[in-house]
Amino acid sequence: MSVIARIAVQVFKESVRDKVLYNLVLFAVLLIAASYLIGQLTAGQDVKIIKDLGLAATQIFGLFIAVFIGIGLVSKEVERRSIYGLLAKPVRRHELILGKYAGLVLTLAVNVSVMAVALYAVLGYMSWVETEEFRQSWDASATDPAMLTAILLIFVQLMLVTAIALFFSTFSSPILSAVLTFGLFVVGHFNADLRNFEGVVDSPVAASLARALYYALPNLAPFDVKAQVVHGHAVPFGYVAATSAYAAAYICALLLAAMLIFSRRDFK
Amino acid sequence: MARYAIRLTELTKDYPTGFWRPRPVRALDQVSLDVEPGEVLGYLGPNGSGKTTTLKLLMQLIYPTSGRAEILGRPAGDIEAKRRLGYLPELPYFYDNLTAEELLVYFGGLFGLAPAVARTRASTLLDRVGIGAERRRRLRRYSKGMLQRVGIAQALVNDPEVVFLDEPMSGLDPVGRRDTRELIQSLRGEGRTVFFSSHILSDAEALCTRVAIMVKGRLVSTGRLADLAFEVQGWELVVSGGERGDLAGLGLDAVTTTVSDGRHVIELPFDRPPDQVLPELSRLRFQVVSLTPRHESLEDYFMRLVASRQEPAA
Amino acid sequence: MKARADFWWQRPVLFTVAMVALIVVFVSSTLVRDRVYAVTDSENELLYIPSGAVLERMALSFDSLLADVYWIRALQVYGGTRRSDGEEKNYDLLGPLLDITTTLDPEFNAAYRFGAIFLTEAFPNGPGRTDLAVALLKKGIERKPERWEYYMDIGFIYYWWVQDYEQAAEWFDRAADVPGASWWLRSLAANTLAAGGSRESSRMLWRQLYDSADSDWIRTEATRRLTQLQALDEIDQLIAAARRFYELESRPPASWQELVDARMLSGIPLDPTARPYVIDSVNGTINVSEDSSLFPLPGETLPPLPQ
Repeated sequence: MSVIARIAVQVFKESVRDKVLYNLVLFAVLLIAASYLIGQLTAGQDVKIIKDLGLAATQIFGLFIAVFIGIGLVSKEVERRSIYGLLAKPVRRHELILGKYAGLVLTLAVNVSVMAVALYAVLGYMSWVETEEFRQSWDASATDPAMLTAILLIFVQLMLVTAIALFFSTFSSPILSAVLTFGLFVVGHFNADLRNFEGVVDSPVAASLARALYYALPNLAPFDVKAQVVHGHAVPFGYVAATSAYAAAYICALLLAAMLIFSRRDFK
Repeated sequence: MARYAIRLTELTKDYPTGFWRPRPVRALDQVSLDVEPGEVLGYLGPNGSGKTTTLKLLMQLIYPTSGRAEILGRPAGDIEAKRRLGYLPELPYFYDNLTAEELLVYFGGLFGLAPAVARTRASTLLDRVGIGAERRRRLRRYSKGMLQRVGIAQALVNDPEVVFLDEPMSGLDPVGRRDTRELIQSLRGEGRTVFFSSHILSDAEALCTRVAIMVKGRLVSTGRLADLAFEVQGWELVVSGGERGDLAGLGLDAVTTTVSDGRHVIELPFDRPPDQVLPELSRLRFQVVSLTPRHESLEDYFMRLVASRQEPAA
Repeated sequence: MKARADFWWQRPVLFTVAMVALIVVFVSSTLVRDRVYAVTDSENELLYIPSGAVLERMALSFDSLLADVYWIRALQVYGGTRRSDGEEKNYDLLGPLLDITTTLDPEFNAAYRFGAIFLTEAFPNGPGRTDLAVALLKKGIERKPERWEYYMDIGFIYYWWVQDYEQAAEWFDRAADVPGASWWLRSLAANTLAAGGSRESSRMLWRQLYDSADSDWIRTEATRRLTQLQALDEIDQLIAAARRFYELESRPPASWQELVDARMLSGIPLDPTARPYVIDSVNGTINVSEDSSLFPLPGETLPPLPQ
């Protein structure tokens, strides 16, 4: 096993040890309780609401893990000086970065997969107890495989957010990293406004600046296809591919920059 | 096989200071030092003299401003060199949520040890540093002294040829200091090169084949401890026979302690050299058991060196 | 002297080249995606209502979930107000809540259809805002023109609450034009135009709705309407009896008991929910009791008793 893999496995073990995966229990309880309560409230749309809730919770829970573990991955090692012992081992600095990243992505993959299984199980049960004509009225079947597309893009988005958190974590404190990462997450959703900016302003400088920012800042909105999927609209393969390619290139750039910054740092 | 286990060549490190101060602080200034395989080198100096900076440069935790640091003939930070060295950081901290055992297995894994091998190695090493059943407890519950012991164990997980210990005695109780001293001696017996830093002279006295003394980022002297120009501050004279009352007549009563079987330990001050006192004592039928000079402490030595270095500037 | 270049990415030139290449990849993938695929729903709404638009931005990517929250609030306002005994029932919040719901999730089917039913319901069971209901459904049509149910629902509103049968027939026709619409819409449109307001066409309308209902709620609603139509039929018979009493006695009956005594009725007449009908001899009307779940009967004006 390579050094990167060993560090990754260690990150995963630590997250298990830190009870990170307990969020899965919370997720399951949330889904089951919600499906019961909403079922009491109104007929017709409860499957849609559970889908909304399940996909949103998958994203939010993953986001918390990505940001709050991601920002500490490297900066905590530096702040608590555990990095001194670690870097004296035959570990290259960039291997540390890549191992930490791979470890958190592994944690997220396990988390998202379990959530997906739980969501399908709850929806499958809800569908099973309903009558046939009732099922006809839904936009998409309860256990619509297209939901996997939404879950995949959520996972890819989480990979990107993790890379952002890790990038900041290589040169700033955990709190600053958290602020910066969350800031970029919010900006990432308002990003589309930057593109529409040029229609509103007269100054060509402002317009091209807005356009440059639109392309440079991480654009997180396209990863969100939850609503389409819940309403049974197909998400084209090309769209998923383009969005994933975007994420892959962005992640590589972030990791490369993180590696360079980290390999030049002095640990005073 | 490289000629030197460790070689520093005009190693210099400047730390940048805040942007309002134009000049960076020089933490290490042109330090050159060779350590031969099998040597135990005491790297001594008061706090802030550049000891930790040197060790961090050797581990490539920081990069030199100029000069070079080599371990086993390879540049610092080289992955092959890292495979053959062990390092105990100053005031070591590891992962709160791991047990001592898990930490050693993890670090062993980074050296490519198979899990079973790493577990055996961990168990042997923890025995060696005196961590008993606590090895299955999480490190967050460890005392400073226990962490120090774990730190030494993790530095040995790869059976290293060269061991770097940064202040291995700090934070230890007397028993811990004795254990650590014995451990370093055994490392020396196994033929490993040991490079350890300390700000306490007595740590070095019994252990080192050689010491290097740092003051304000400069290497001021190297050599065997006995050869260094420590000032004699007085003598310890042990005599037997004779009457205790006679010593009072010589004005030595205040500095004399009588120990068992009629021996007297006399702490001679600098202004009563032995050649003045000895004829008197032999006249009074005292027999000399031993005579040892009392050297100044390392701290006093540093102070003197610091003072002498500052004088030309002043 | 800084880090030596042990790896290619530590060399400034190669690092820059790699970064530029990666930036080219992610910028061009954005360009391709924006060009090939229409901007995603969640990005595209520069919305009609400021509050909804602001909320949608605040919701980041959780707008669909937030829509659920607003839908549940709308249900609570409607259900809670309807059940309350207070003198001043206030449904003012219902319209804005439904509007926010459908702004946040423009494809929220239930919010349009059920929402329109809530809005049209006459006071005190609802705000009786047919205008808002039609606007809500039109918003749904703008979003999803293929939903023939929305056109049909507008037709219902015109038919049942506004009694504008020409408009109703026109909307039923438009519903029938949508591919995949139910076959009976066309005949419903014709029927509405020919015999708008007739109880028979109303009965047909509700029976079709009952048969095609995709939720229990709509089925219950249709059953209630059909029961109301039955009550109207019964009221017609009671009016006939009252008229005969008038011809015999030259005065309107003061109570059901007089009709029973005159052997024109076999007992106190009960509506289909087993509540006695109410006879008002002063105004000369017969109606269901205000306690009855059938109250109020639909807008069809009750024929006056002969005075």
